[in-house]
Amino acid sequence: MEKKILTKYIDDPNQVNIDTYLSHGGYKALEKALKEMKPPEVIEEVKKSGVRGRGGAGFPAGVKWGFIPKDNPKPRYLVCNGDESEPGTCKDRVLMESDPHGVVEGMAISSYAIGSHLAFIYIRGEFAYPARMMEKAVEEAYEKGYLGKNILGTGYDLDMIVHTGGGAYICGEESSQLNSIEGERGMSRMRPPFPAVAGLYACPTIVNNVETLAAVPFIINNGGDWYASMGTEKSNGTKLFSLSGHVKNPGNYELELGTPLSVLINDLGGGMLDGHKLKAIIPGGSSTPMLLPDQIDVKLDYESLAEAGSMLGSGAVIVIDERTCMIWVAERLIHFYRHESCGKCTPCRDGTGWLEQLISRIERGEGKPGDIEKIESLCGNIMGRTVCPLGDAAVMPIESSIKLFRDEWEYHIQNKKCMVKSEFAFK
Amino acid sequence: MSDDNNNINLTIDGQQVSVPRGTTVLEAARSIGIEIPTFCWHPKLKPAGACRICYVEIEKARTLMVSCATEVGPDMVVQTASEKVLQGRKAVLEFILMNHPLDCPTCDKGGECDLQNLTFKHGVDDSRFDFKKYRHIRDKNSTFDDLRIGPEIIRNQNRCILCYKCVRANKDIFGEQDLGAYQRGNITEINTPPGEQVDSLYSGNLVEICPVGALTNTDWRYKIRVWNTQTVDSVCSYCADGCNLTLWKNKQKVYRATSRRNDNIDEGWICDVGRYGYQVPMTEDRLTTPLIKKGDAQVPATWEEALGLISEKFKKIKDERGGVCIGGLISPNLDSLSLHTFSKFFRKILNSNNVDFRAGYKMLPEKSDDLYSKLTSLPFKIADIEKSDLIFVLDSDLTKEHPIVNLRVRKAITQKNASLFALNPIATQTGGLATDEMVYNIGALHALLNGLCVSLIDQNLTQYENASDLKNRLSPNTIEKASNISGIEVARINSLAKVIAEAKNISLIAGELLTSAINREELAGAIINLCLLAGIFDKGQVGVLSQAANSKGAEKLAVMPHLSERSILKLKQIWDNYPDNDGLALDQMIRSSIKEELDSMFIIGSNLMLEYPDGAVVKEGLEKLDFLVVADICETETTQLADVVLPLSTWVEYESSFVNLEGVEQKFNAAIKPIGFSLPAYQIINKISQGLKTPLFEMIDELIPEIKTLLQPDENQNSFETCAIEYIEEKQNPEFEIPLLVSNELHHFGYYTEKSNSLSSFCSEAFLEISPGLAEKLDVKEGSIVRVESEIGKINLPVKISEYIDNDVVRAYRNFSASPVNILQMRKRNVDRVKLTVVEGT
Amino acid sequence: MILNEKSVAEIKKKMVRYPRRKSAILPAITVAYRQVGHLNGELYREVSQIIEIPVIDIATAASFYTMFPKEPVGKYLIQVCHNISCALLGADSLIGYLEEKLGIKKGETTEDDMFTLISVECLGGCTAAPMMQINDEFYENLTREKVDKILEDLRNKA
Ligand SMILES: Cc1cc2nc3c(=O)[nH]c(=O)nc-3n(C[C@H](O)[C@H](O)[C@H](O)COP(=O)(O)O)c2cc1C
Ligand code: SF4
Ligand code: FES
Repeated sequence: MEKKILTKYIDDPNQVNIDTYLSHGGYKALEKALKEMKPPEVIEEVKKSGVRGRGGAGFPAGVKWGFIPKDNPKPRYLVCNGDESEPGTCKDRVLMESDPHGVVEGMAISSYAIGSHLAFIYIRGEFAYPARMMEKAVEEAYEKGYLGKNILGTGYDLDMIVHTGGGAYICGEESSQLNSIEGERGMSRMRPPFPAVAGLYACPTIVNNVETLAAVPFIINNGGDWYASMGTEKSNGTKLFSLSGHVKNPGNYELELGTPLSVLINDLGGGMLDGHKLKAIIPGGSSTPMLLPDQIDVKLDYESLAEAGSMLGSGAVIVIDERTCMIWVAERLIHFYRHESCGKCTPCRDGTGWLEQLISRIERGEGKPGDIEKIESLCGNIMGRTVCPLGDAAVMPIESSIKLFRDEWEYHIQNKKCMVKSEFAFK
Repeated sequence: MSDDNNNINLTIDGQQVSVPRGTTVLEAARSIGIEIPTFCWHPKLKPAGACRICYVEIEKARTLMVSCATEVGPDMVVQTASEKVLQGRKAVLEFILMNHPLDCPTCDKGGECDLQNLTFKHGVDDSRFDFKKYRHIRDKNSTFDDLRIGPEIIRNQNRCILCYKCVRANKDIFGEQDLGAYQRGNITEINTPPGEQVDSLYSGNLVEICPVGALTNTDWRYKIRVWNTQTVDSVCSYCADGCNLTLWKNKQKVYRATSRRNDNIDEGWICDVGRYGYQVPMTEDRLTTPLIKKGDAQVPATWEEALGLISEKFKKIKDERGGVCIGGLISPNLDSLSLHTFSKFFRKILNSNNVDFRAGYKMLPEKSDDLYSKLTSLPFKIADIEKSDLIFVLDSDLTKEHPIVNLRVRKAITQKNASLFALNPIATQTGGLATDEMVYNIGALHALLNGLCVSLIDQNLTQYENASDLKNRLSPNTIEKASNISGIEVARINSLAKVIAEAKNISLIAGELLTSAINREELAGAIINLCLLAGIFDKGQVGVLSQAANSKGAEKLAVMPHLSERSILKLKQIWDNYPDNDGLALDQMIRSSIKEELDSMFIIGSNLMLEYPDGAVVKEGLEKLDFLVVADICETETTQLADVVLPLSTWVEYESSFVNLEGVEQKFNAAIKPIGFSLPAYQIINKISQGLKTPLFEMIDELIPEIKTLLQPDENQNSFETCAIEYIEEKQNPEFEIPLLVSNELHHFGYYTEKSNSLSSFCSEAFLEISPGLAEKLDVKEGSIVRVESEIGKINLPVKISEYIDNDVVRAYRNFSASPVNILQMRKRNVDRVKLTVVEGT
Repeated sequence: MILNEKSVAEIKKKMVRYPRRKSAILPAITVAYRQVGHLNGELYREVSQIIEIPVIDIATAASFYTMFPKEPVGKYLIQVCHNISCALLGADSLIGYLEEKLGIKKGETTEDDMFTLISVECLGGCTAAPMMQINDEFYENLTREKVDKILEDLRNKA
């Protein structure tokens, strides 16, 4: 069922203390990397492991590290992305607040691998507690000589800064995040140049998700092959899934990639809440297309979910039952994306605004014939035409909702009311 | 298809094109005449890729690409007008129009709005958007949702399409900090920081680059529709930078001035003085007829009467006492035809060298200042500043004196990573970008320059052969002495010397304080030494920047009594005779008038009573004259003293040229006919000359060849020698210890601009700028009134506390007729000094 | 000066860690917000003085980040997540319940300036929905009893 690797000790309240972390074999991987491996060897090992970006895009980490130009004399930076703002997602938070040293160690090894001497962890501003835990871990690591000058006598120097955000989902997007760290407004940047070439302060920069980097110590300890032996052929290792919505036991679960969705929802999640019928599943965070009940056996890995017409995304599985109006869901989501658009490019800035107005009027029972077609055409005018993928993120769930529940959308317009009224009382 | 490594071949709409690597698809397309619409793109700004209107289709690319931000690639195949592109473009327009108000009929931008034009072109509308348009409401009762964000600028956020051009230009090009984007997403708005306003010298450009009517200015607003105007090519008549302008006129009225991009000079930016300065000619109180003094009143007269009287008087003086008893002063803001006619009238007709243009200067030399004029005749190009890795500014508050040169310096620093060093008696805005801006004790520049020379020699950083010899001649100057006198640490002087020696390409720029200084000949000498020691003549350019629109022209056209040999030769070339008498410089004219040796003065376009840095003396001088003729565009403190006043036309009323600080002659055209019965100066002069039975020309064009010859750039001059001139400290009266600087206020130039409503809206009254430290000492706050008292005069001024002044120097402004500060100044003192006493408001 | 010595010291301490001073903007306004409870032009000017960055850069950046209220709020800022995971488990009725208990509408502040109630986007508490954040603390798996107790405790604390 669960395969607890990154999350092995998260239930131990002392894991946040460096002594406990050390007693669990902590910082061995860092020591091994610094003392026994050259940076390229570390990158090789991570390539071998096949670990892919856990922040949403799923790009192989080792490959990305390889993009840093060898000949560029500028300093290099590592940025650990702990912005975690994708609705439904709260897995990085668990790692940061319950096993912060794991994150620090992963960041340290990765920094060494890419030749960085200053690493940032960007934590969303609302995560005050996780940020405190990370601050504490960083301090302890400095005291014990796992950070700072001449780490473990190897001559390698690394400083680490915990940088907190101010409430902006877009600052999870890597280029905006770099602007945010630079003290600019968190507006997305055009690519090229990619961060690996010109990122933070226009220097080569690697941005990786917290979970991605947290996996690195295990890869170094047990070898890339060991990691690659888990999961499927193309989707290696384990992944954290945030299970939320209408299930009995919501929570974060670490699974081997390729585990069927049904295992997560029914076996681990204990099935549907109060025995209601399943209506839809958002499998990878609010930006991913929805799945239907008959797809519940789909395997949770990058390829299978793509085949199923959706994405693994950040691994946030949102379970929606029969009592839910899909237009109501769509309204929540589009409101979010409109609110979070940085405002740089026209299609995202104005398109999300228009979509929100259309969808909420339908939800209010004031929809007009043709609204659905209009929404579809607007989505088409946003998809793939924006500076950063937020535009796509905004339209994918809407498009899929219309595709899968068109009759419900039409009903809503014709009858000026919901097919099922979503009224969820809190206990 | 193969590319050589710096050129890329690609296909756009079926056409082959080869462009340099790094070119954007947009620029490549334009280079072969294919237009792609843009909103957020601007030729002088980094691409933002924000508006998305410039989509193109590129083979093998999954999605539409923004051409403004996509670099060309080998064998790229680009479609700029495919189905998909047009669809994408329409979609963007539809998004932009969604919340864009349909107030074109009441919008000032109507008729010249990029959005309006593109919308018509693509037949897009906002009809699919059936919601109420979003309003950024400021004032619940206003239907226009206007917000005034500066003295001139009004913002209507509803119309803003968030191209961010204003914000980007303001920050990246002008380096200003008064406009930014606030909030985010679809409620983003363009605004000032809380409690501040957009009042920089460049603010008008923001309005000009706004593609829609989101930023408009009071100047043009609701006055006329753009399609009812015609445009005329013109040139700015204020400072010496020589920005190119387009004047927008209808019948006898000019409605606005905008930039006419010239990449050699202004790159499409102009300062507010140039933009709003056209309002001066448009003022109500222009002189429209001649006036003749009858008793103590000046009564309107015809040109016949006025000219008759003048020629009679001039003839009498000429015949009885000689033309040398008439003195001539003409403003360097006047055109080349007029300057030359003036000089020709005095030299050829009156056989006198009493011509001058240097009203605002300190004591003028009584012989030709050869070193100085040699230095000023060196070639200097604004655009070449970009080529320098070191920019070295001497005695210039560039932003105030040369706004456009300042932008070029900024560009060199921020975009071409040049470094800036400055020597100024007061911290400057430009200095903010400097690696080291050395604020020295006022008056110590000469000592400091000598110190630099010694430092170059002592650190043996010089290849100059006669260095050691110069060293001896320079003693007793030492670095230590320079340091003591200037207050700049020895280490800083030495490191500056090092930087200068090591730089590959230097632009040395000297400004107003130096050009108008008494000891400018000595300073010129010191600069020449420095250039020789550091090899600057061979590795860069030296710009001793002239001040007014045609000061350079005045120098080259020899509107001065004492000329270098070469100028005299030139004049002898074009004229058969040249007066062999020694002419009077302005100071001498005033003094001889007081001594009753000079009978008459002929002044054109200069308000000596305010400009001459010795208010009391000049008054006496002018009053003592038997016969004073003044031509000007409005009544001034000086015309009031005249026996005959003549109405002068302004540069928007005739056709001629200015010579900018680079020595480039730039033609300007007439936008309107002369106002009232006013005439261009060259015609006034010629009519007077005709009165003396000696017309200067039938057709003005006859003078053009002469002017051409005089404006010829001087053939290579690199025949410089060192000249050791010892620094002499100026004695001062201990009772008056605070140095006083007098300059143009940021939004003003000379004494005319207070007549421009727009410029007055930025600043309309004189004030005294003092340092926070001094304010504390005196226990005064912003707005307190102090009495400013010098050995010869006093005046009350409100204080303004400025972070730019960090020493006990005070600065006053010469642009306000209500409080003339020249009564404090002493022509023979290099540094004016005053004492302050608080009158009210501690 | 609104910022107290502690805040100023903290800002300076954070500032020096960065390769470029401008990076200190977000940390600095966060410190200011934690002390004052909201941000305003005066604070921007103070921060500008401390980190030597133009006011405009601070003001424009601050306005981008919605976590910081731009005008005064109650002692306790109650931020209820209204995004999807919480909504599915009754976020709306939670907001209704709070409105009722506090006698204010969403977006308002109680007479005694004790509580301000707003709803916000996903806070990353999705697996423990419904949830809310009060000042810096998260309160999760909320039930009526829990909410009653939380408000109770906060009142007593004040
Ligand atoms: C709108 C948007 C929001 C994002 N938010 C996050 C986030 O909160 N955390 C994260 O790790 N990645 C986020 N990403 C993905 C990042 O841009 C980036 O791909 C990722 O951090 C790279 O790390 P990884 O390769 O380890 O996944 C977001 C992307 C977009 C377009
Ligand atoms: S005000 Fe004008 S220039 Fe500035 S962003 Fe808006 S549209 Fe662009
Ligand atoms: S002009 Fe290309 S995106 Fe605006």
